[in-house]
Amino acid sequence: MHWLAIHLPKLPLEVYPGALASSLPLAVGLDPGGEPILLCNASAQGRGVRPGLAAGAARALAADLRILLRRPEAERAALERLAAWCIRFTPQVSLAPPAGLVLDVAASLRLFGGGEAIRAAVETGVMGLGYGCTCCLAPTAGGALILAEQGQGGVIAGRAALRSALAALPVSALDLDRRGRDDLAAMGLRRLADLLRLPRAGLAARLGPGLVRQLGRLLGDEPDPRPAFAPPDGYAGQLELPAEVPDAGGLVFACRRLVEELCGYLLGRQAGVQRLEWRLSHADLPDTAFVLGASTPGRDPAVWLALLRERLGRLTLPAPVRALTLMARDVRPLLPGPLDLLPELAQTIAPDSGLLDRLRARLGEGAVRGLQALPDHRPERAWRWCLPGEAGLWQGRADRPLWLLPEPRPLDVRGQRPWYGGPLDLGTERERIETGWWDGLEVARDYFVATTDGGARLWIYRDRHGRRGWFLHGVFG
Amino acid sequence: MSLEQLLAGRPDLWRGRATPAAVPAGVPTGYPALDAALSWGGWPPASLTEILDARPEGTLGLVLPALVRLSQGPRWLLLVDPPLPPFAPALAARGLDLTRLVVVAAGGDAAWAAEQGLRSGACSAVVIWGAGAAWRLVALRRLQIAAQTGGALALLFRGEAQARNPSPAALRLWVRPLAAGLEVEVIKQRGGRLGRSLRLPWA
Repeated sequence: MHWLAIHLPKLPLEVYPGALASSLPLAVGLDPGGEPILLCNASAQGRGVRPGLAAGAARALAADLRILLRRPEAERAALERLAAWCIRFTPQVSLAPPAGLVLDVAASLRLFGGGEAIRAAVETGVMGLGYGCTCCLAPTAGGALILAEQGQGGVIAGRAALRSALAALPVSALDLDRRGRDDLAAMGLRRLADLLRLPRAGLAARLGPGLVRQLGRLLGDEPDPRPAFAPPDGYAGQLELPAEVPDAGGLVFACRRLVEELCGYLLGRQAGVQRLEWRLSHADLPDTAFVLGASTPGRDPAVWLALLRERLGRLTLPAPVRALTLMARDVRPLLPGPLDLLPELAQTIAPDSGLLDRLRARLGEGAVRGLQALPDHRPERAWRWCLPGEAGLWQGRADRPLWLLPEPRPLDVRGQRPWYGGPLDLGTERERIETGWWDGLEVARDYFVATTDGGARLWIYRDRHGRRGWFLHGVFG
Repeated sequence: MSLEQLLAGRPDLWRGRATPAAVPAGVPTGYPALDAALSWGGWPPASLTEILDARPEGTLGLVLPALVRLSQGPRWLLLVDPPLPPFAPALAARGLDLTRLVVVAAGGDAAWAAEQGLRSGACSAVVIWGAGAAWRLVALRRLQIAAQTGGALALLFRGEAQARNPSPAALRLWVRPLAAGLEVEVIKQRGGRLGRSLRLPWA
């Protein structure tokens, strides 16, 4: 009871977005001409089309039937993405193309609370990602796969139960070539039970050693090594939308599927990302691309979706969206922080980075900034914008105003004195700042703290160059 | 000499001002005279305070001592839509830890940004320069509730003309500049007395 097989019976149709639920009769065949129908949707089934039917016969039943070409590369990509997502359950995930995955869950049973619990969790998760599936947990990988392929989900507890479950399967479930199948039919063997009853040596002599080895693997008598799937370094997911989405708000739901898939992949790799690169494809305009950033690497889908919602709320689409692409390149290991023995005593409340990410997502990257004081005599160079939380280099000066104008504002002069809605009282203190000839911002100024009639205190200066004009540069608050 | 001052000089007189038992301690404003006039002994904690001021840049000096004190903690100080960039050297010289300061240019989203900051619990104070925007009563109430939820100080600067409009704020002050300081009038105070006018020197 160690192997969990996932079979995706509808994968060839599921790689076509919206095909399963479409009201038009649709079917998939390898070749639109000759190959029999592989799969068809509910609408086609309602008209009598069945898998295995020849294309001509199917068209006779439903004249408007569209036969889609099979897309093996898209199926493979979907299978790999699903494998990357499954790594959350066990590191030993193997692909069983064309439409299966096998998970070695021996070491995970206890963590997830037993066989049925893990089987149900996988099944719910895969269905949540939008795939129909059958999941079977059995003592051997081959046995689990063949049962799942035959639509028999559930948990097979022991070797004996596996043997009886396999015995009921038709021989067509085995991986045989056409000749082998004909031979079995000619010998009157229809079920696996008939095969299992026969002596192995005679079976090998008649039908070749391959079949016997296959039976041995199914029952666990022969080793069945399976290469483990290695998840890729970065994540790239694509989703074609079943219908064009005209407004950004409607995209959130579609994006959720990609975000969930990404976060499953990250969970399996014990990693997080800081930047999500999104690309929205339109019918005939260049793609709309944007980047979603967070200040710390994360893999919580709820957090990313909240950020995405804010970002999409700010987005205006030039045209309806047909497909979504999500890329995450800078995948970094995310280690859980150390836990406190007595959490209620821990006083350090780390500033919540999620708040700043939310503000950035809605207001733009440049709208959320910190301030830094720099050691320079020139007020313009004594500060700069920085990232929130970055330490400054200077303790500052107490005789400076609380507000600095971005640009010094020229003041009127009346009767030789500066004027700002009234005459200014210059006080007695004067500070000369004359520096910066070496880096292009040369200043030569005399600063005063001026008081207006109303009591407001202003920081003004007289330029010692050129026109010797008066300027307002700061306001004491 | 005003009646207020006369009465204040008579400690033997019971004046019927029942101080509620459970007034939470406020954040000291840094001005002892103002602390004494407020029933919390400082800025009302986890509540909205409105400061009405004719000048668009408001009275940063009035709230700065409290911000300096709060910047020693682990939480952010959010400045939403200041009309000018605050001058970093002056703030640093007064002891404000600039690494806790976040300046947000919210544009039309000031109410949203302020509410996010207050509600998140990640901010100890959110200062909003709201003179440019029309604040509806609902928006103010949301700020008050967000401040309660997140346990943060909400300080909102608005124009003088708003004094006549109702507000859910716990405290409303009317501030006018004087030659050597500020004149502060308490025009609303939850559970406290109104009409008190104070003169504060520059800190």
